Amino acid sequence: MSEHDASARRHADDYSDRVGREFPGGSYTITPWRTWLVADTLLDDPWDETPHPVLAWMAGVAGMGMTWDDLFAWFDAGPEDGPMFGEHRTTLHLPLRRGATYDVTGRIVSAERKVGRRAGAFDVVGYELDLHLAGEHVARCYNSIVFPRRDA
Amino acid sequence: MSDRSAVEVGSPIPPLQVTVDPEKMKVMAALLSDPTPIHFDTRALAALGMDERPVNQGPLNMGYLQTMLARWAGGRDRVLDFRVRFLGNVLAGDVVRAHGVVTEVSDGDRGRVATCDIALDVVGGAVALSGTAEVLLDEAPAVPSTRDQELT
Repeated sequence: MSEHDASARRHADDYSDRVGREFPGGSYTITPWRTWLVADTLLDDPWDETPHPVLAWMAGVAGMGMTWDDLFAWFDAGPEDGPMFGEHRTTLHLPLRRGATYDVTGRIVSAERKVGRRAGAFDVVGYELDLHLAGEHVARCYNSIVFPRRDA
Repeated sequence: MSDRSAVEVGSPIPPLQVTVDPEKMKVMAALLSDPTPIHFDTRALAALGMDERPVNQGPLNMGYLQTMLARWAGGRDRVLDFRVRFLGNVLAGDVVRAHGVVTEVSDGDRGRVATCDIALDVVGGAVALSGTAEVLLDEAPAVPSTRDQELT
């Protein structure tokens, strides 16, 4: 069975034991080229040197120390299952700086099975990511991922 | 940039309207190292029985709203808190409109802050994102350091 063979993979009924699991963590540099390209993909001004706020979340996921595939696998899912964003929150305690390298930590904060009338069964998994610079807490991002469980 | 001194409860945020470009999604997929094929692979979309137009990434949809807030508030570093729920997909070629309204104006440690209700609509379609944000309208005056006080 392929690691991402959704048809053959079995899902647990309860993933609450993953809550509290820490990401390996790492670091992320808001390089000038990333600042430029992110603004350009948003059809915003790429020559504005102030990093776009969406880079807080991008820095978090890029620096969390694992791939999307790794994270999905913690919940017996893969990209072909169609995981979706649920909710998002970014809180910036300090402005982002172009050229700065942020230390990233993060963890799973919730995992809940739900059943929708139309959507059927799905798991909502919440995680949070923290950015630190020189010991100061710069930002926290919370995000939830919705994993459809068509076979549950 | 608008006149921030006149901001009050009920003030509208100048809306931002963009046409979603699938080429930008490919760049964002690379920036995010996001393997999810629905953002770039039209054959994968067809295999999933979905509309063959690629699905815009959540961070891009968030970013349009943050761009609107930043332009209004006078800088990308003025978005302090941003919270949204993902309600629907945005597809390549869609025209989306970011908009918002001020619900509270308050003074805090960082200065004068506006709390806003925000949403991203697909023009002619449904609401894709909705939520709230806090943006800095005017920074609090710098507090003189002890040394500055000693010198005056």
